[in-house]
Amino acid sequence: MNSFSADERLALRESIHLLLSKQSDERAVRATMDTTSGYDAKLWQELAKMGVVGLIVDETHGGAGVGPMELELVMEEVGAALLCSPFLASGVLAAALLDALADAGLNDRLLPGIADGSCIATAALTGKSGRWTPDGVAVSGQEVDGEWRLSGCASYVVHGQNADVLLVLASTDRGLECFVVEPRAAGIGMAALPTFDHTLRLAEITFEGVKAELITAQIPVWDAVSRAMDLTLVALAGEQAGAAQHCLSSTVEYAKNRIQFGRAIGSFQAVKHMAADLLLETESALSAARNAAARLAEDAEAATEAVSLAAFACADAFVTTAATSIQMHGGIAFTWEHPAHLYLRRARADAQLFGSSSFHRERFIQALGA
Amino acid sequence: MSSENPISDDALREEVRAWLAEHWSPEQAQALEGKQLLWGATGELKNWLGKVVEARWAVPTWPVEWFGRGSSAVQAKIIAREFAAVRAPGAGQDRSSMWANTLLARGTEALKAELLGPILKSEVNMCLLYSEPNAGSDLAGIRTRADRKGDHFVVNGQKVWTSGAANADYGMLIARTDWDVPKHSGISFFFLPMKQPGIEVRPLRQITDESHFNEVFITDAIVPADNLLGDVNTGWKVLQTALAYERSILGDAARGARSGAKESLKEEVLIALAREAGVLENPELRQDIAQAIAYKKLNALNNARVKADLQQGTTSPAMSLGKLAMSRILHEEARVRTAILGAQSLFEGSDHPRAEDANFLTFNAYFTSIGGGTDQIQRNIIGERVLGLPKEPEIDTAIPFRDVRKG
Repeated sequence: MNSFSADERLALRESIHLLLSKQSDERAVRATMDTTSGYDAKLWQELAKMGVVGLIVDETHGGAGVGPMELELVMEEVGAALLCSPFLASGVLAAALLDALADAGLNDRLLPGIADGSCIATAALTGKSGRWTPDGVAVSGQEVDGEWRLSGCASYVVHGQNADVLLVLASTDRGLECFVVEPRAAGIGMAALPTFDHTLRLAEITFEGVKAELITAQIPVWDAVSRAMDLTLVALAGEQAGAAQHCLSSTVEYAKNRIQFGRAIGSFQAVKHMAADLLLETESALSAARNAAARLAEDAEAATEAVSLAAFACADAFVTTAATSIQMHGGIAFTWEHPAHLYLRRARADAQLFGSSSFHRERFIQALGA
Repeated sequence: MSSENPISDDALREEVRAWLAEHWSPEQAQALEGKQLLWGATGELKNWLGKVVEARWAVPTWPVEWFGRGSSAVQAKIIAREFAAVRAPGAGQDRSSMWANTLLARGTEALKAELLGPILKSEVNMCLLYSEPNAGSDLAGIRTRADRKGDHFVVNGQKVWTSGAANADYGMLIARTDWDVPKHSGISFFFLPMKQPGIEVRPLRQITDESHFNEVFITDAIVPADNLLGDVNTGWKVLQTALAYERSILGDAARGARSGAKESLKEEVLIALAREAGVLENPELRQDIAQAIAYKKLNALNNARVKADLQQGTTSPAMSLGKLAMSRILHEEARVRTAILGAQSLFEGSDHPRAEDANFLTFNAYFTSIGGGTDQIQRNIIGERVLGLPKEPEIDTAIPFRDVRKG
């Protein structure tokens, strides 16, 4: 795993900030979220060229091969800009899952395309229950005449409708296994789900005896899923922390300039105190996300506590900050034209994706030995 | 030993280690554990502090003429780390002693010569004479007066929330010396000798049933003009120096005298309590416990980030959040403890130590959310100084204090 120096991290962050401030400004986000695919193919290619899409893919497969800390940093910018893209699904979740499963042949085949953005992958891990636990899996696999066939339903599949490759978790008579499925294979039903967060794409996928390729996992499959999920949660935490910070700073700017009763509203204690409380939320979120990334970079197995903490602290901080920022803006923020609701939509979506805050609090207290 | 004669980090580390090896023992560490430095020391601790000061480990960044060795902050940290490694107190007072730092920064040469040494060695006890019944959050509204009479001032007034007043030798006092200028401009800062007629200390009984604080009634007490810090009427600035030191100390210190208060700073104490009470499987409590522990961890992570930033020469806004975070932690911790105990929290007395702790902590949390500046004042400070929001209009800062409407 490559590790960046502090200066290199700063440079990485600045280059992404620059790109996203130009190509993922509010107008671009609104335009993109109204398209069917929900992402901008041209921007996706630019992100790939910059090395963002293949950030965590190892160098032998054409990626940058960096670790959780760089990923988290990039995601802070992604969150602040409300970037619409399949990065979390393909470049993070699918790439990390493949890496953890460690099927060498398969990785040689899939990872280069994931890294250069030409192949969008995603992972189907849960069914309609929306529980990201082994008992949430609602697809089953049967081996018939040396060939695997999948049946059942996967839901909440991030960017499923844009995927070129599906990694599907299924229960089999030998336990949980992970399969590669071609999304246009016979027997697949793909339905885009209507999402409350218009910058997000989710799909429900039904399987009726769909031909699938068994991945030769080098570790127990759920362990691999957990590992990939931890990295994804760290990425998500970074996105939440960065987005929350953006909400706070834009709200503070507004409070300095908006005049009521002859003075800037930020001079009223009611407004000022909300801002101070949000600073505590956002700074704590940042600390939690960065700490989780650092712990994960050190030791993936011992990081559960830090990752869980970041998962609920950052989710809650983003929801609180996005929601309070609407209150602090007053009536203007209640319009569709104002970006505040876009952030609250993303915040509420991020807070349910891959497990709710209470799910992660429970995981956290278990990691503490309770 | 001075900055003109620099010593390498490694040589310094060796020197501290050798000195500690010769003068300090693990038995001493055990004996002195838990003795507070903040409000004065006794016996063995005093002896030890004397040695530390004489060896110039107490305030290494200070100049050589005042017990220091002109060290860099980095070297001071090396010294403090070596002391901490063997749990020896007394080092790092150049960061932790508000009394000594305020005196060094603002005191007259005569007063420094008289008191710097004794303060560092904890030979004299100090207290704070800031707040008054009508000047709490608005400290600049003080009405205790100091009137010049020749080479001394005569002080009259009433102070409140004074810790350690009964044992104090000196009080850091703010008093009004000019009534005809705006409120911040007529205040002076003194080291008031406490052992004199005209100073009456009455203990205050707190809601926790403890008496950490006192009221101090001052009638025609005398303070020598040499004990003035800064110039006459510049006391507000001196106070800001002193308050900055106090805030940084309060952010670190564990508060409250009872075992429950100290124990509460340990992270997993709530889990242990819930297990003991047989309610650890209650899913609602598990959520509450996880959240309360999370607040502590997040604060620790913020502090670690601030420290790392400072080492890199940058600052982060998280720096100013410790006190507000701590007050949320303490209130939440007390609330969850009470929830774990349920009906048992109805009891008090030594037969019910868990209830005693929970109920004590419930009240004691206000020590932090009011003391040293209320949460609401902290939010004002954070909003204005960190986030750059405009100040609330102030109606009494430009008129003579004599004409200010008073409560």
